[in-house]
Amino acid sequence: MKQDYFSSNNIKYIDYKDIEILKKFLNPNGKIMSHKRTGVTSKNQRALTMAVKRARFMGLLPFVAK
Amino acid sequence: MKEMENKAENEGTDARIYEVGYILMSTIPEENISAIYSNLKELVNSLGGEIVSDEMPRMIPLAYTMVKVVQNIRHKFDTGYFGWIKFSMDPEKVLDLKKKIELDTNIVRSLILKTVKENTVAAKRFVRGDITRRKTFSAKKEGENETEQPINKEEIDKEIDALVTV
Repeated sequence: MKQDYFSSNNIKYIDYKDIEILKKFLNPNGKIMSHKRTGVTSKNQRALTMAVKRARFMGLLPFVAK
Repeated sequence: MKEMENKAENEGTDARIYEVGYILMSTIPEENISAIYSNLKELVNSLGGEIVSDEMPRMIPLAYTMVKVVQNIRHKFDTGYFGWIKFSMDPEKVLDLKKKIELDTNIVRSLILKTVKENTVAAKRFVRGDITRRKTFSAKKEGENETEQPINKEEIDKEIDALVTV
């Protein structure tokens, strides 16, 4: 079992500007990895999804990567 | 429950922490950026906002092409100046700020969100994480050394003696 990345690194607020962290949870197509693959808690997965979507809106992350 | 608590807090303080992220047009010359940046901060202050932290807009490549229509002309952007301001403001005034920011012709795109007062920027947080990890490791090592030092010292002395005699 993979441990929750955010609680193990003591990250309380997932920021949309931290694209280096967010990139870890995207697959090569730029899709958000499933909860099963990330091993992140449900609460943090929801926050992660929100952050990724905000980053996409601001052009920091792609909606679709080729 | 949490929402209730937040509401109660809001009524007491009348202010919340917000963050506005924005992308400025890449066609703006670099010299004008600081002027626009200070104008934005003044705009926040004029609406009774108190700036907590912020970052200068800097040129970034955008992940996809953005379009902004100005005077019926479509402008396409592949790069932009990305900056953000974190501030505390009365929840009712944030809507006015949003309207004003949306009218600004220099801004391609903007995002207003609720956030926390603490610093959430990646680089600093990584450093912090490393330090805490190192501390825990060093603390463990110290603890181990303290308990094992007498034994180790004798062993080491014996080993050194053996080496010296050889």
